[in-house]
Amino acid sequence: MSVAAKDAVPKQRRFKLPEYSWSWLSIPSLLVAWMLIATQFPSYILPQVWDVAHEGYIWIADGELFPHIWASFLEEVGGFGAAIIVSMVAGFLAGFFKGFREYMVPLNGLFMAIPPIAWAPLMLIIFGIGYTTIVIVIFISAVNPMILTIMEGVLQIQGQEVRAARVLGAKRWQLFLYVYLPASLPFVTAALRIGFSQAWRALVAAEMIGATQGVGWMVQMGGEIGNARQVLLGIVLIGLFSYLFERLFFRQIEKRYEVWRLA
Amino acid sequence: MAERAVERIGGDNLIIENLHYSYGGKLSIFEGLNLDVRPGEFLAVIGPSGCGKTTLLNLLSGFYSPERGSVRLRGKPIAPEDPNLGYVFQAATLFPWLSAIENVEFGLRMSGMPPKERRERAQRYFDLVGLSGFENYLVLRLSGGMQQRVSLARCLAMEPTLLLMDEPFGALDAITRESMNDELLRIWDELGQTVLFITHDIDEAVYLSDRIVVFSRPPGGIYKVVKNELPRPRSGPTTRTADLFWKYKKELIADIAMVTAQRPTDEAELAELKLSTEIERKAEKQASRDTEN
Repeated sequence: MSVAAKDAVPKQRRFKLPEYSWSWLSIPSLLVAWMLIATQFPSYILPQVWDVAHEGYIWIADGELFPHIWASFLEEVGGFGAAIIVSMVAGFLAGFFKGFREYMVPLNGLFMAIPPIAWAPLMLIIFGIGYTTIVIVIFISAVNPMILTIMEGVLQIQGQEVRAARVLGAKRWQLFLYVYLPASLPFVTAALRIGFSQAWRALVAAEMIGATQGVGWMVQMGGEIGNARQVLLGIVLIGLFSYLFERLFFRQIEKRYEVWRLA
Repeated sequence: MAERAVERIGGDNLIIENLHYSYGGKLSIFEGLNLDVRPGEFLAVIGPSGCGKTTLLNLLSGFYSPERGSVRLRGKPIAPEDPNLGYVFQAATLFPWLSAIENVEFGLRMSGMPPKERRERAQRYFDLVGLSGFENYLVLRLSGGMQQRVSLARCLAMEPTLLLMDEPFGALDAITRESMNDELLRIWDELGQTVLFITHDIDEAVYLSDRIVVFSRPPGGIYKVVKNELPRPRSGPTTRTADLFWKYKKELIADIAMVTAQRPTDEAELAELKLSTEIERKAEKQASRDTEN
């Protein structure tokens, strides 16, 4: 099912400088403020921007940075990936079947009322420190809002489109494949986005409690040994990855359907 | 072009017999509706809003089931998925994630026609409704009139023998509507389907049809049937200025006025009408959701 009609969409230059905007000032002004405030403190309490950059260089040069990032990445893939699969199935079922919806929604509400990190100690008792514990905490945090988002989306798919497809001879499985699935693309993307950011937050929090590696662990360990540079480096990395993922992944998916959704 | 539908239908009528239907058992819409539509006939249905015109199409297409009585095409009841059935909705209801031509191909793709063949067939009907050159447009970038053309082509590409049309041009401006009327007559002349055309526009009903059925407020059903003897082929300037056209038009204006005068006057009836609107809305929602439940 091609998201078609590329010919009709005005061609844009691939690499275009973004329009001038005040947003160009946001990050630089933050850095300037950081630098000014840092002049008032000794480096071991609030290090300068370049101290943190140098810290990053040392981690890279030692070859220690990448394993931590990779560990966090694998945890995110495991927990978020499982949440994608489960929420797609449960979200669509809840959208289609009233009974399942009625059963499911209170559970989602309950789990969303509990901060996911509250599960971490229990998981530590059961699974010990490491991958499984963190993946489960991530999963719990991501899956519930994703199910609700997908369910709401399925409920919103216009009955008229489904009727039109039926008159054109679409059988049940064809309705699902050729009407519900493409029509659900916008809110499935929304669900992915919500789920990813929830998962990422939970990941950092969980790593602080029950991990021996990862960017969350970097921050936690930096605090324990009193290395402020390491703490700040970890925070920068956490923000950077979330931002990159958003830009490189979700924006790209959205671009594919925003043409027909907002036309 | 395809074999004329009228030959494929054979001599069988669309027969509506003793049709009973009510909204949730509360508000009766039809109490024993009878109507025969002969093959290849162009039948216009006109009436005040809320008189059950759309409900009739829902019953004919099998989205609703009659409480009593029957609707039969070639002696068999009709299901929404019936390949003989075409349905053009009030709104274009296109699939916005597909291009215009892919929308026209949709039904053929569902029936498993190979890509090359279905593109050829789709292209034929695409050209027939006068859209050549707009194949790869996203449908939401087309104007309302063009969207309705795509919708019509999408329906025609299935080559149905019975075409149900629910105020398909109601949302268009008068000039576009008149040109769509001419297109429709040209296509109908070429393909020869049985057409059941619902409208609230008297001019449109007179210009297009062989027969005009006037509905009254529920549960009245058919108020009157007018046989339309305007000669064919019809064309705007000639047909619309003919004395006969005006005679029908005057007659129908009087009829509609009569039917509309039956409007609810006291509060009880008004409450009933509100209830019916509510129930109909729910029923339609339900009908579309039933698909997957």
